[in-house]
Amino acid sequence: MKTIWKVTLLLGIAAILVLFALGLNNDPRMIPSPLVNRPAPDFATTDLDGKPISLAEHRGKWVLVNFWGSWCSSCVSEHPYLLELARKTRSRSDFVILGVDFRDTEQGAKMFLARNGNPGYRHATDPEQKIAIDWGVYGAPESYLVDPTGRIRLKQTGPLYAGWFEQVALPLLQESTTPTGTPQAGKP
Amino acid sequence: MKNRLLLMLLAVCVGMLWFAPAAFSVARDEDPTEALVRKIAKDLRCAVCQNQSVYESNADLAKDMLLIIRDKVRAGEDEAKIRDYFFQRYGDYIYLKPTGEGKNKILWLAPFLGLLIGVAGLWTAISRWRRPRTDTAENAATPLTPEVRERIQKELDQIQV
Repeated sequence: MKTIWKVTLLLGIAAILVLFALGLNNDPRMIPSPLVNRPAPDFATTDLDGKPISLAEHRGKWVLVNFWGSWCSSCVSEHPYLLELARKTRSRSDFVILGVDFRDTEQGAKMFLARNGNPGYRHATDPEQKIAIDWGVYGAPESYLVDPTGRIRLKQTGPLYAGWFEQVALPLLQESTTPTGTPQAGKP
Repeated sequence: MKNRLLLMLLAVCVGMLWFAPAAFSVARDEDPTEALVRKIAKDLRCAVCQNQSVYESNADLAKDMLLIIRDKVRAGEDEAKIRDYFFQRYGDYIYLKPTGEGKNKILWLAPFLGLLIGVAGLWTAISRWRRPRTDTAENAATPLTPEVRERIQKELDQIQV
């Protein structure tokens, strides 16, 4: 076999192996959300106290929408950070947190908050996970950061982690309200 | 008489085989709405169970997606619009069968490209095998020098037939 063919064959095999190695690092559970940098689907439902709640009423502020459920074990591990984040950002007038308790019962959600601590922000109820599916959610917890114009700027799949706000959200909050595209957040 | 009986039996059997699917099919009286729901749900992937359709999966998410599909079909939305609703939220991952657009073209074309390269390689190899071996440099006939020719002749002369 001529040398050029041997080199071509080796390069071909090497290219396939490199692609294979890159593919091994992909997390099959991480599905990129096409909703990032697009308008957030609005929702209007009731909160855990039975009062009306919608996303639109927070237009003009950055909104962290956190999808969770009392059935979700990862939400338990995320909860201490949400308690801390709610406490830290309570004084901010440009940022609010909204919970969306999906595929859950009101009683289950209230028991979860009583057991693990109530961060103090409001939670929309979504027993048939219609809001969750409308937002492209496929697991819990998942969080979306919505900018003041109502556009989703990033999605966090899995629990929010210590330092997430400072590392990921704050740089976005500090830029102008007419930003350009932003990559999705991943685990640190 | 016996042959006629056998023939009648055969006719009855063939008739039963012919009409059985129509008579016993579960889907014969299926509501057209439900048929469309099934068609759409079978093409959509259950996002939490890797390789099962929304229709086949028992996951809670898949069940709720099925309810949404049913609501949309009953509301009169067409198949393309419902498929697009899920595509806009989950991307083309939601389709069990990859679409032939964008980067997916590579998925569809790569096997044919590989086949083409394979056939070309095989063609080259076969044509090389079929070529006479004298074509190769090492086997090419070297012109005989007068010395060699004389030596061959001598050796031939020594042979007594």
